[in-house]
Amino acid sequence: MVFAVQRFPKPEFETGYLQPGTLLPSPRAEILAAMDVAILVLALSVISWIVLKKRSRKGVFWMSLFSLIYFGFYREGCVCSIGSIQNITLALFDHTFILPLTVIAFFIIPLIFTLFFGRTFCAGVCPFGALQDLVAFRPQKLGSRLNAVLGMVPYIYLGLAILYAATGTDFIICRYDPFVGIFRFNASFGMFVFAGILLISGIFIARPYCRFLCPYGVLLNWVSRFSRRHITITPAECIQCRLCEDSCPYDAIDIPVTTKDPENRKIRVKKLIWISLLIPFLTFAGGWTGSRLHITLAGVNSKVRLAEEILTPAAGQGQPESLGLTAYKSSGKAAEEVYSEASEILDRFYNGGWILGGFIGLVFGWVIAERMLSKWHTDYIPNKGACYSCARCVDFCPVKTDLSEIKHEKT
Amino acid sequence: MKKPDSPDPTIKLLRQIAFVSALFAVVLCILILVNWLQLHRADPLNSPAVKTMIDRLGSDPDNAQLREQVRTLDLLSRKAYFTSQWQIRTGGYLLLISVLIIAICLKTIEYFHKKLPDLPEIKNNTYWIDRKINRRWVGYTGGAVVLVTLVFAFLSHNELENMLGNAVSRGTDTISGKNASKNIPLSTSGKAGSVPDSLLTLATGDSISSDTLLDGYPTWTEIIRNFPSFRGPGGNGIVYQKNIPVSWNGKSGKNVIWKSGIPLPGYNSPVVWNNRVFLSGANETRREVYCFDAKTGKILWTARADKITGSPAKAPTVNKETGQAAPTMTTDGRRVYAIFANGDLIALDFHGNRIWAKNLGSPANHYGHSSSLMMFRDMLIVQYDQRGSANVMALAGKTGDVVWKTARNVKVSWSSPVVAFTGKKTELLLAAEPYVASYNAGNGKELWKMDCISGEVGPSVAYADGVVFSVNDYSKLAAIQIGETPKLLWENSEYLSDVPSPVASGKYLFLVTSYGTAVCYDAKTGEKYWEHEFDNTTYASPIMAEGKVYIMDKTGTMHIVKADRTFSLVVESPLGEGSVCTPAMVDGRIYIRGDKNLYCIGK
Repeated sequence: MVFAVQRFPKPEFETGYLQPGTLLPSPRAEILAAMDVAILVLALSVISWIVLKKRSRKGVFWMSLFSLIYFGFYREGCVCSIGSIQNITLALFDHTFILPLTVIAFFIIPLIFTLFFGRTFCAGVCPFGALQDLVAFRPQKLGSRLNAVLGMVPYIYLGLAILYAATGTDFIICRYDPFVGIFRFNASFGMFVFAGILLISGIFIARPYCRFLCPYGVLLNWVSRFSRRHITITPAECIQCRLCEDSCPYDAIDIPVTTKDPENRKIRVKKLIWISLLIPFLTFAGGWTGSRLHITLAGVNSKVRLAEEILTPAAGQGQPESLGLTAYKSSGKAAEEVYSEASEILDRFYNGGWILGGFIGLVFGWVIAERMLSKWHTDYIPNKGACYSCARCVDFCPVKTDLSEIKHEKT
Repeated sequence: MKKPDSPDPTIKLLRQIAFVSALFAVVLCILILVNWLQLHRADPLNSPAVKTMIDRLGSDPDNAQLREQVRTLDLLSRKAYFTSQWQIRTGGYLLLISVLIIAICLKTIEYFHKKLPDLPEIKNNTYWIDRKINRRWVGYTGGAVVLVTLVFAFLSHNELENMLGNAVSRGTDTISGKNASKNIPLSTSGKAGSVPDSLLTLATGDSISSDTLLDGYPTWTEIIRNFPSFRGPGGNGIVYQKNIPVSWNGKSGKNVIWKSGIPLPGYNSPVVWNNRVFLSGANETRREVYCFDAKTGKILWTARADKITGSPAKAPTVNKETGQAAPTMTTDGRRVYAIFANGDLIALDFHGNRIWAKNLGSPANHYGHSSSLMMFRDMLIVQYDQRGSANVMALAGKTGDVVWKTARNVKVSWSSPVVAFTGKKTELLLAAEPYVASYNAGNGKELWKMDCISGEVGPSVAYADGVVFSVNDYSKLAAIQIGETPKLLWENSEYLSDVPSPVASGKYLFLVTSYGTAVCYDAKTGEKYWEHEFDNTTYASPIMAEGKVYIMDKTGTMHIVKADRTFSLVVESPLGEGSVCTPAMVDGRIYIRGDKNLYCIGK
């Protein structure tokens, strides 16, 4: 609000009214920041207990409601683990950037819990997930094709977010965060529409942001695959009743694989070898493609834009001068300095384009290769990477170990 | 799992509540969107009605009723703006509440009305088929991403990288001093000035017509190829070009390429841009700007500065040694600017066509206005330290509009502005009693000042390596270490100047007094290394080029000495005609304004 007021020019009073000084929001008190971290740890502990010990969907629901209120509306979605990726990246590439301990904690702690207990953070602590889970009234299955296509978007988003943070260009996760504007009641028009689309589509496509955009979800997905104790659908032996088969709105249940791939074994092995060889090629091809795009990618950078505006003044003819150019003109800064900075940033984007493209190419190759491997299992099990540990499937399983639960069912 | 009993009417009621809330939420959404559109249309800062009324008020400033109407309308539009903001915010709260009600109702219905899971159909081999489809579509997605990326890369392909590369490499050349003499660290000079290197190709051509001249402003690289103002680039007395002549004789014609008569007198110095040399001249009745062909010395055009609105009918009374055209002109390669003793300021294109002209007000100056013009980016800098109203201003080169104007609490001065890049910013350095002051060249804000000069200040300052040097007769020579809090590094009162400005490298400061003594100091400590008397009055400011200092006395003899800690006279070259003007030097040539003629020295 302070900034909004500042943008508005001061009216010219002739009444002796004294313009009050600019107010700057004070940073959150250290004790309160520590409290946020403590609540995060507590919330993760409670949700992990609810998911793994109590196996209670109801408990997950109430926990996520608490997180929505505390981390969402009270803390206004900041610090959030999703955005912390950028702070961590920038701190790694820019030693002058001071990284608060709270941000490190919000980045690391959910990953540690995920390593032990699966994505319980997504289940009941992340306010974004909680908000979307709240509106998932009529979730529908998406099908293989759409899942395959949309499932690749978070990797690209993650790569771009890291590239832009590493080059000190922008925090795009925060800039295009659809839900923070809702938590703060100050969404821009575009973000309001974006959030509306996500929430309305979220009625039918459960957690669209988490599944098809969330860059932090990519990291959680990787870590969760190695989780020691992950939620199971059945607490004991699966009786193959198939009741849970369609229970997951996120398509995160792996059905038993007992049949062999109908394709000839020789062909499959050949394909796998081919794909394995393809991975380095895809990585290189991706890198090359990314490097071709580096000028376009760097166009977002304010310093590059400024240099371009100074260098080609004719290009902007007929358009009002940008605020950046106006500020530069009054700065007394030498143009050569701007060019030099912009050139350096372009170099970084060139290298970054290689890395980003290489990463995306590697992911595509890896995902394709992964889809060729057989995963023999006879039970219905949650896919450790994709499962949000929401415990919906638990309610569908007729197998109970808790006697009190059986007693309750009988009554 | 057993469900709690739930009466059907409750579920029905919840459904109805959810439906009504959903309807309410949709209406709210529409209202918020409409409000948002209104908010962006009704910008109180750009209200056409208010603007029209303000324009009317401009032509009728005493109309109190109209003034009141403007205020009322402005207040109303501001109120409307903030009311819209309030409505959006309140709508947001209501929307949240309605969504919450929908969620509560539907969740309650879900809780009371749980359905048994449907048993899906058994699908044989769907797993492998799904995996295959999945693989294929991941592949398609990858292909699409590559295609889209390449299309974007192709469509957005531009020359930005090459242009930046060229701009940076040219800038680096400048900084690393490829064009500089060994003794002069160019980093001390400042990278003042600026921009479009895209225009550089035009600047290097043999001829530039106004048709091909793009607007904008020259880069530092362009600036140092030329001699665009009094004492060269930035007005700091340093030349970055090579092959500057050292030996000539005006009488015998040795190494004089051409000599051309100047129609009207003037004590301003030549400025050079590519193949054009500019001078001004004036008497009590005429004020003129001359453009000489740098190759032949022929006057290409003469432009008269007349019929300027506000110009005083009678020329001011000035000292004989100042004249009506003392200030040196300046050029940004697009236009050329001149100012005269009566305050007439004129901007001309390279064909001599007037672009704009104005009178700055008759200078209240007992000797006559002599402060030279300076360019910075696309702005014309004018130091106008007149009695009762001293100020420095920047005018838009293209239009003459005032970009910024800063009042100065100083006495009348005759010194000229210096523009220097001091590491982080470009500073505008001015001297006048009682202080040396620095201004942000971009916006005119005062950065620092130091009380260290007094009297009728004529010499301009010199800058090198973070130190500003100021001097004036009956005052002192001061070295100011600049920074957030500038400090006096050293001072000396042994030799002082009242006309020639000093020149400095990172190591040495060279000072020439009006009575013809040249002195060399250690720039950092003030230790005097040498002094030498040339025995003739000297008004021209010394220029440093290729490790030498060019000092021209009033008889027209150029004394060239090594810019070193020991005195070493390289050569003395006579012009054969008296001169009080500072020479202009570009690659292989020196242009000297004599009392009556303009000389081009070179081979």
